[in-house]
Order: sequence, then C-alpha cells, then structure tokens
Amino acid sequence: MHSNMFKKIFYLQWKSFFRAAGVASKLAQKILIGFVWAYFAFVFSGLAFIAFFGIQNDFGLDPLPTVSGFLIYAFVLWVVIRYFIQKMPIVHVQPLLTLPFSKKSIVHFGLAKSVISFFNIVNLFFFIPFGFILLNEEYNFWGVISWLVSIGSFILTTNFLNVLLNSQDKLLLIAAVVLLGLFGLQYYEIFDITDFSEPIFMAPYHQPLWALVPVTLMLFSYRWSFKHFLKKLYLDSNEMRPKNEVQRATELRWLDGFGRTSFFLKNDIRLIVRNKRARMAVWMGFAFLFYGLIFMMDIYDYPVTKVFVGIFVSGGFLFSFGQFVPSWDSGYYPLMMTQNVPYKEYLRSKWWLVVVGTLVSIPLASFYIFFSWESYLAIIAGGIYNIGINAHVVLLSGAYTRTPIDLNSMQQAFGDKKSFNLKTVLLSIPKLFLPVFIFYIGALIHSKLMGYILIGVVGVLGFALRNLVFSWIEKVYQEEKYQTLGSYKQKNT
Amino acid sequence: MININLLSKKYGEQTVLEIDLLNIPSGQTFGLVGNNGAGKTTLFSLILDLIEPTTGLVKNNDIIVSKDEGWKTHTSAFVDEQFLIGYLTPEEYFYFVGGLRNMKKDVITAALEPYKDFFHGEVLGQKKYIRDLSKGNQKKVGIVGTLLSNTPLVILDEPFANLDPTTQIRLKKLLNQEASSTGKTFLISSHDLQHITDVCDRIVVLNKGKIVRDEKTSSKTLKELETFFQEQL
Repeated sequence: MHSNMFKKIFYLQWKSFFRAAGVASKLAQKILIGFVWAYFAFVFSGLAFIAFFGIQNDFGLDPLPTVSGFLIYAFVLWVVIRYFIQKMPIVHVQPLLTLPFSKKSIVHFGLAKSVISFFNIVNLFFFIPFGFILLNEEYNFWGVISWLVSIGSFILTTNFLNVLLNSQDKLLLIAAVVLLGLFGLQYYEIFDITDFSEPIFMAPYHQPLWALVPVTLMLFSYRWSFKHFLKKLYLDSNEMRPKNEVQRATELRWLDGFGRTSFFLKNDIRLIVRNKRARMAVWMGFAFLFYGLIFMMDIYDYPVTKVFVGIFVSGGFLFSFGQFVPSWDSGYYPLMMTQNVPYKEYLRSKWWLVVVGTLVSIPLASFYIFFSWESYLAIIAGGIYNIGINAHVVLLSGAYTRTPIDLNSMQQAFGDKKSFNLKTVLLSIPKLFLPVFIFYIGALIHSKLMGYILIGVVGVLGFALRNLVFSWIEKVYQEEKYQTLGSYKQKNT
Repeated sequence: MININLLSKKYGEQTVLEIDLLNIPSGQTFGLVGNNGAGKTTLFSLILDLIEPTTGLVKNNDIIVSKDEGWKTHTSAFVDEQFLIGYLTPEEYFYFVGGLRNMKKDVITAALEPYKDFFHGEVLGQKKYIRDLSKGNQKKVGIVGTLLSNTPLVILDEPFANLDPTTQIRLKKLLNQEASSTGKTFLISSHDLQHITDVCDRIVVLNKGKIVRDEKTSSKTLKELETFFQEQL
C-alpha cells in the first residue's frame, strides 16, 4: 500500500521534471552535476585520509577522539549551511490532497526525499572512507560501526530539524552566534568545547549501546517533523499561506529622484521586503561577505583564491539576486511586457539594484584589511569588475535562465523555499574565471599589483561601455521574449 | 484600430488560429465568443505580442506589434492573473500601472474615485496584498487597472468570469458607460452570451481557430448565438 503510493508520487515528480520548462538545459545541468558529485566524492574521501593520517602523523594525536571532539563544530556549521544550501524537497501537495493518497504517505514521502540531499550524501563521502581507514588501522570493529551509526543519526537529526525549523531565521542566527562564540573561546584558549564534546562523541565507540541515544534522537526528530507537517497539511495552515496583513507599507518617496526607473525600483524593494525567497537573496549576499574568511588561512594563500574571494565577497548579492533576473518577475511577466515600458528601463532598475548591492558590500568588507592589504585590494578590484562586467553578465544570463519563481507559493507545504542551490552556484563559475585570467596577464607582465589593477581597469571599461552593452542585452531579451513568456506560464516547476 | 492580416498560429501540426482578415475600427466594442480552445486567448495574446505569429501580422494603430513596441503607449490589457503583481497592495498596483503611463499620484487617486462602487468596499484601503484577495476581487483590480489610465484601447479576456452576480451587472454598466462616454475601443471575450451581447456592438464567434460568425449586435443576436452553440452539441 505504502510503496505503491510512493511509486505514484514519484511518478508525478518524474513527469514534472521532464515536462518542465527548458528540460534540455536541465538535463545538461544534471550531467554537469554528476561530475560535481564525482568531484565531491573524490575531495571528501581524500579529506578523510588527510584527517586520519594528518592528525596521526603531523600532530601525533589519536585521530578518532580528535575528530570526535571537533564534530561539535561540524554539527553547528551544518545547521547554518543547510539553512542556505539545502533545498526543501518539493511535493506539490494541493492536487494530491483530494486524491486517494493518505496524508501520512505524502508527508513520509516529503521527509524521505529530504534525506537524499546533497548535504547528507557529501557527509557519507567523508565518514564511510574514514570508517574504512579506522577498521584497516585495527580500531575496534563494533566500536567503529556504532560510532558511524551515531554520526549518521546526528546528521539525520539535523536534517529533520532543518526541515522542521526551516522557516525560522532566528535559528540560523543562534547557530551562527554559537559557532563563532565557541570558536572564539577556543581560539583564545579560554574554553575548549572539544574537551566536552570528545567524550560525548566517543562514548558510542567505547560502549556501542550509547549509539541508541542518537538513534532515538533521530527517530524523535523524524516523528516531530512528521507530526508537524501532518497537522499543517491543510490549505489554510500557515505553511501553505503567507501572512495576510500588510506589514510594511511604505511610499519609498526617496526613490522618486530616479524618474521612471523609480517605479521599478520601488517594486523591486517591495519584492525583497515582502517575499521570503527574495529576502533570502539579500541574506546570501550578506553571508558571502564572510565567505572569504575561510580563505584567509595560510594554506589558501594563492593569488587565485584572493581573486575569487574578491569577486565573491563584493558580489554576493549581485550573484544571488541577479541570477534570477527576470525570473523574480515571472509571476507577472506578461504585465511587464504589455505595459508602456521599454526593456531598457526595466533592466536598468535591476542593474541599479545589483550595483548598489555591490557598492554597499565593498566598504562592509573593509575588515579584510586586518588580514592583509592585498585581500582588500582584491575585493575592491573584484567589486569594480562586478559592477562593470558581472552586473551585465548576470543580466544577460538571466535572459536564458527562464526558471519561473513562484513568489506566492501557496500550494506547497515542503515548498521550494530556498532560492539558492547548487545549480545556481554552478552557473556563476564562468563569471569567476575571466578575472583570474586577467589577473595572471597583469602578474606576468608586471606584478601582482598590476594584476589587480588590470581587473579594475577591465571593470571600468565595461562600465564605460554600459550603454552599448545594455542595447545588446535588450536585444537578447527581446529575442528571448516569447520563449521566456512560454516558460513562465508553467509555474512551480 | 486593429488590423489583422492572414494571421495564423500553429503548434507543430495543429493550427490553433487562422484569421485571414479582421478589422476592428476605433471606438468599437468588440466581443469575442467561442468554446474552450476556440482561440480567443490566442488571438488576444497575438494582439498583445505575447506569442509569436506563425504567419501574418497584427497592426495596432498601424504599428506592427511584433516589430515595434510603440503600441504599448495606447493599449491596456488584463488577460489573467499574470497581469497582477501579487505582493503589492491594490493601491500600489494602481500607482505603478498609472505611473508607467505618466500619471501623477494624486491624479491616480482621483481617477480611482469613480470605481468605488465597482470595488464595493472590498479592494481599496484593505491593507491586503493582491495575492491575498479573493479571485473576484483580484479581477476587479485587474479590470480597473486597464480602465484607469484612459488608454484608447482596452483588452479584457473573460472579465465576467469569477465575479459575483452583482459585480457582473456593475461591470456591464461600467463598460457600457466607458464605451459610450470615452470613445475607447474595447476587445472583450466571454463565455456568457447574455453579458457579451449586452455590452458589445459587434460579436465575432471563433470556432476551432476560425471566424464563423461576425455581426453587429441586434435584438436577435442573443437568440442566434444560443442557437449556434446549441447546434455544436
């Protein structure tokens, strides 16, 4: 009975994928993603080897307890990363509700689908090889097994908690503060959390029965989110409908100076303020400001990473918001196409938005000066490049993206809530390679400084040519117009 | 106002619309009826350049719509909910749509006044986003959005659907008033034969993508249309 329903729901999902807008490009993306999987499998299993033998040989420590101690960081970090990266599995609930599927199986399906996520599998890529190494190095067999089971249960617990607490921005903030706090305390040797977490995570190794604790925890978290969603499986529950009240009605008069562009700017600001998906894009941009911190460690001290960081840190918002132009307006694209507006004005408003986002990011990122002047120089150069070149590239690629975004996602319980996913990161890659190339030209003919200056100069050039580029982008948008309109007719794909 | 020449739309082998000649003079209230799949929305979408014609062309005020965007200055349309912006309040929507047609804010506020009755107190000042309004009220917003800016050409696809009976009667009055007092050209489609004959002075019947009837409205029109659709059974 159960499995039959699963099969039917799976069948619907399958159809929705292959009948969606732009299947061909999606298929190409899937193949690309296949390569990325292979890459991650390689990297993470490599990491497992490094973790074991690095800790053993370079630090002279026992790898298992050391890794166990640091797992606490991994778990808090996972909560944070999941919030951004993990897409909730999409089940189109509304049409299923009146069909002979039991509500329970709909919820079970949604949760089961959430288990097979990028994030959970990447963890396997690390822990399974790590487990094999442990066994090979003659650690206690049952101990290792129970240790792995516990870790797996912890991972799934954070998975279900994430599904459950998905709508709460607060959780993210708490997790981030806890993470930074713990790390700070340990860094300045005030308090070492790993002293406490180590025995906790080692307990299942010494006594396999302890594995029952995380397993129970996992089952409880499943039960909890299952019940939560089962209750919410009505069309009028909060999960299904956005809030009714207008909370933020402002006139935004200060934008009137922009003339006709101001009409669009006002809409775009309201779009961001009033729609969670669009808000997420802003948060992503903010998070990218700190993304570069990971690369401030000595092992990443290469110019290539500095250039990457410069582009990413200053362009977080540009990428996260810009890549979905014009998809943000997919719900009312026909309106836009019949109103008295030339494309140019419409595009200019979006351009202003991503440019202002970049301009704000550059001073906000000034704390990178503490690491090195070079890092901040890279960010400034990257910022100029983003404004001059990437702002246009992003708008241009938007003409081909054509994924409709359903802002009023009333029909989805496990809604497609995250606007940020792996595929969209992949699409940003071309925007990153060119500046690295330019940097090396500068570095080869003169110096690193010259490399950064050259990146900036190219950016300024792009900016100077913006009217020309705009006319060209406008033409592309016009050519793609009918296709885009057609794709936006299919919602929720 | 509208001139259509040898226009056709095909999807693969299937022809969904084929109109050799259709002229809609300025000031006419033009009604379009036909069963589902007859091509009504396809015709409107072609006039609005939302889909590409397979052959032929549509001229709006002598502008070929697929070549030049100039027709947008004098055309307003409401086809479906994709002509509404869900996260705006109705007021903000009107200011947006009117503003794009160079109307000042206070002018828009004043222009909304005559539609108070039509809104029946359920649209303005509700502190609700359009996405949270009922289907009927959303429709009211869309219709008024097209009338507000006084464009000479107004295109409405199924304006009577989803409206409650009282509002349907109000809409009929409203459209008759607008048509007689402003000289606007209206293109209206409907499944409701009674309403469309009450409002329009010319009725065109589409069947399987072709024009099968084209007549000035008279006292006999409603009966004839009913007979026509009866015969389709």
